[in-house]
Amino acid sequence: MTNKDLAYNGYLFAMWQLGRFFSFFVLLFTVVENYQHNDIFKESLTIKPLSDGKLLTHFQFNVRTNEIKEGKAFSHYKLFPRAIGQIIQSYNAHELHLTFTQGRWNYKDWGYPIVPSAGTGVELWAWLWKDGKLDKNWKSLTNALAGLFCASLNFIDDTITVQPKLSFRPEGLYNATELSARAELRYGSLPHENVCTENLTPWIKLLPCKSTSGIASLLNGHKLYDSNFHSMSIHVRPVCQGFECLNKHLEIVQTVSAVVDPVRNSGKRDWSLNQIFGRQLSLACPLAEESKLEVILSEDGDYKLSPDADTVVRKNDGDATIALYNLKNLQLDTDISMTWNEDVFKYNLNYEQPRVYAHRFFTGYGQERGGIKVNIFNKSTNFTVPIIYYDVIPWFLKLYLHTLKVQINGEEVQDSPIKDLYYQPAVDRSRPNVIEAELLLPPNSITTLSINFDKVFLKYTEHPPDANRGFDIGSAVISSVGEGFSYLHDFVTRNCSEDIPTTACYHFSIRVYTETLLVSLPTPDFSMPYNVITLTCTVIALFFGSMFNLLTRDFVALQSNEGDKDKESKD
Amino acid sequence: MSSKDKFTGVLIFGAAFAVRLILFQFSNITEILGSRVEIVTPVTSFTRLTEGLYLFENGVPPYDGGAFHQAPLLLAFFQLLGYLPDIFTKLAFILMDLILAYCLTDIAGIKQQLYYNFPKLEIELKDNEIDPWIVAGFYLFNPLTIASCLSKSTIIFTNLSIILGIYYSLKYNKSYGMFWITMATYLSFYPFMLILPLILFFTNNAESRGKNIKSEIFSCVGLFASWLSGLLMLSYFLVGSWDFLGATYGVILLLPDLTPNIGLFWYFFIEMFDQFRSFFLVVFQLHAFIFMVPVSIKFRDHPLFSIFILSGIMAIFKSYPSIGDASLYLAFLPIYSEIIKYMRYNFLTTNIFCYCSILSPIFYHLWIYAGSGNANFFYAITLVYTIGNIILLVDATFAMSRREFDIWNPDLRNYEIIQK
Repeated sequence: MTNKDLAYNGYLFAMWQLGRFFSFFVLLFTVVENYQHNDIFKESLTIKPLSDGKLLTHFQFNVRTNEIKEGKAFSHYKLFPRAIGQIIQSYNAHELHLTFTQGRWNYKDWGYPIVPSAGTGVELWAWLWKDGKLDKNWKSLTNALAGLFCASLNFIDDTITVQPKLSFRPEGLYNATELSARAELRYGSLPHENVCTENLTPWIKLLPCKSTSGIASLLNGHKLYDSNFHSMSIHVRPVCQGFECLNKHLEIVQTVSAVVDPVRNSGKRDWSLNQIFGRQLSLACPLAEESKLEVILSEDGDYKLSPDADTVVRKNDGDATIALYNLKNLQLDTDISMTWNEDVFKYNLNYEQPRVYAHRFFTGYGQERGGIKVNIFNKSTNFTVPIIYYDVIPWFLKLYLHTLKVQINGEEVQDSPIKDLYYQPAVDRSRPNVIEAELLLPPNSITTLSINFDKVFLKYTEHPPDANRGFDIGSAVISSVGEGFSYLHDFVTRNCSEDIPTTACYHFSIRVYTETLLVSLPTPDFSMPYNVITLTCTVIALFFGSMFNLLTRDFVALQSNEGDKDKESKD
Repeated sequence: MSSKDKFTGVLIFGAAFAVRLILFQFSNITEILGSRVEIVTPVTSFTRLTEGLYLFENGVPPYDGGAFHQAPLLLAFFQLLGYLPDIFTKLAFILMDLILAYCLTDIAGIKQQLYYNFPKLEIELKDNEIDPWIVAGFYLFNPLTIASCLSKSTIIFTNLSIILGIYYSLKYNKSYGMFWITMATYLSFYPFMLILPLILFFTNNAESRGKNIKSEIFSCVGLFASWLSGLLMLSYFLVGSWDFLGATYGVILLLPDLTPNIGLFWYFFIEMFDQFRSFFLVVFQLHAFIFMVPVSIKFRDHPLFSIFILSGIMAIFKSYPSIGDASLYLAFLPIYSEIIKYMRYNFLTTNIFCYCSILSPIFYHLWIYAGSGNANFFYAITLVYTIGNIILLVDATFAMSRREFDIWNPDLRNYEIIQK
């Protein structure tokens, strides 16, 4: 063997060693990476025929990660959207809830929504950690989200921001004592905000598969916004992993709900995916651990699902039967449809109504003063329901708390149902009125709250360009509390599917949103500024000039020359 | 005082009391009056006082909000009244009007005594001076006064304090006089400008009463300052924070609440461009106070007349004027009934007052409720009202100066008189 051969062999050996070493590292990295990046993505589409023939379609996308932790820098994102992760981290948010809604959820006919829907417009609330610059963080958060979603969230300033004291408790995992000591809640809503495709596009971009595959491929702006109601939301919150809650995960839940009306087109409530969304269902998102379609079936009625569901589950707590399709097993270009054996849809007159719902409206006339009245219905025959009523009235309506009246079934009662009242009076141009009241609703009753207000006269620059359209007043919110929560369970528990332990299931409390209101304020004449300045200043000058004249000049007699006078008389 | 005089007094006061008490029984009248922008303003509204009281009694800081802008002592007063039946609140308002009128009677009497030896015009020597009871009658049966009283506007507290201040000052009771004018200042800030004529009451006759002018001035200013700090401290202890300063004087000076009233400020500052707002605010507020010194100097021999003119200026140029302010300064006019023959525009001003009283509710209704008019309608009426008041004040000033001239220059009667 020559030296050359030896050297060659040595080289080979070294390369082999290096290769082994390298492959070991590749393996190690893979293991470590798989261990670290166990992001979980699940998607589901829920379709529910409603009692008035309309159809609720509800998309839900969940991504969980155990990477992002409070106070720990992190930059390696896999399925969790980087845009949201960075916002959560840089502005020190514990929880974040953002909902875009257009239209009003009709509680009376449709029951409760699958996730709380929020009132028309945009609603943002977040629990932020106190780090000395919390208010700055909130401002930055609204601005960042405004940029991300092409929405006017940056208009949530001090005159709109509220710190609810009783409502909007955290929905994820939290430690009550830690939270009260270290975090604060901020809430803001923009009822005037219009929701459209420019908000949906960035929302879809946050999904792991975008809209290329999976149920997200059905999200079609043209069909989605041609609906009676639609709501799009993002909820970010910490959750538990496993029964013992050993690991804290960060979860993002993205939902889109829309209520479409098949009866409007055909007179029948038959539907197919192609018909509602105008698109074909493509294959399940490959990144999804679970991709399913559920149809919530009503008890009675002669209907047929095609193709047949993979499984039909009967829930023993709510009396719903659910047909489940696993989209991972579905053939390409399958169109799921539901047909009813009836010629024309007949309205069901004795549908089951939700137990608690509310309506709010204005009273009075004229542009000087008025009142707000809320009717809160408790339809249950034998339960007293505790609720929290939350209402934010902008500063330009001056509330008079001494006019607050509570009536039950139209009569004043001795024992006031208000158990606790938190009231923050508005300050002109800096903060809104906030009413939070803990109420006990007697069984089978209508509780009426009413309060009077004065309308404030705004400066002409404070009016919007379309001043006579009026100002939007955001929804009042009725939240369930304590015992009332478990009692009010309707669809909410359904979110806790079998494989997820109850501690980790989506702990959405029930919130009922009332109508948004439109108030017209007295307007000045917008073309008058120069005229008013000149007229008013003239009047002041008139007084000043006359007084100055009288105060500074004395009277004198006009003594003409005697000679002149004689001359004049002669002439 | 003769028995006939007494009878006139009892008749006037009895009738005034009865009219108010009867009208108070119609709750819709008092409610309508209590919500009229011409009668109540954000700083005198009884509804807002009720709200402040309600918040105060329920542990919500009343001044930490945009609704309540009245002095803390009013809170305390009405909290005490709240323990009594509802009728006592109404009686309190009626009683204050009557006390005010009674003091006016005394003021008119004292003024007549004070100027008894003053030279007079020839033609005035024949006539008797106006009966002080009639002065009270003019105040009590002025429709503006009655409306203001029925609306339960808290301007009556300010007016009463001003009148009591004048009353005690005319009686040379320095500490009471200063106390009441301080109280008026504390309640609505603008009466501060009346302190100068009040000090003149004490200095004008200081030498004849064996007092030193300088020490009189210093003691008056000292008393004013100490009473004011006392009242402010008392308020601080009452509500537990200094927030009330911003919510009362801050609101009066900076005008955050642009609710319409009969003054000039509201529409001007609704329409004002943002970058000039502060400038014009300073100009308008200074303009109200700028007459304090020149008027006091010009009428240094007639401090009461200075008070008449200055309270008129307050009623026109304060940030939240109401007809309650006008009712106060109009009450002084009968005391100076001798100048009326010199006034040139009596017919015009009377008509303007009637015109405004009728048209202002109509135009406000057209703007706010009917929607067939706009803000300019009501604005125009406030301009007319202001011009009417301006003409009256300028005319009174002219008449007073002109009469003085005639008194001191009886020989120039046949000449044409002009201003230098």
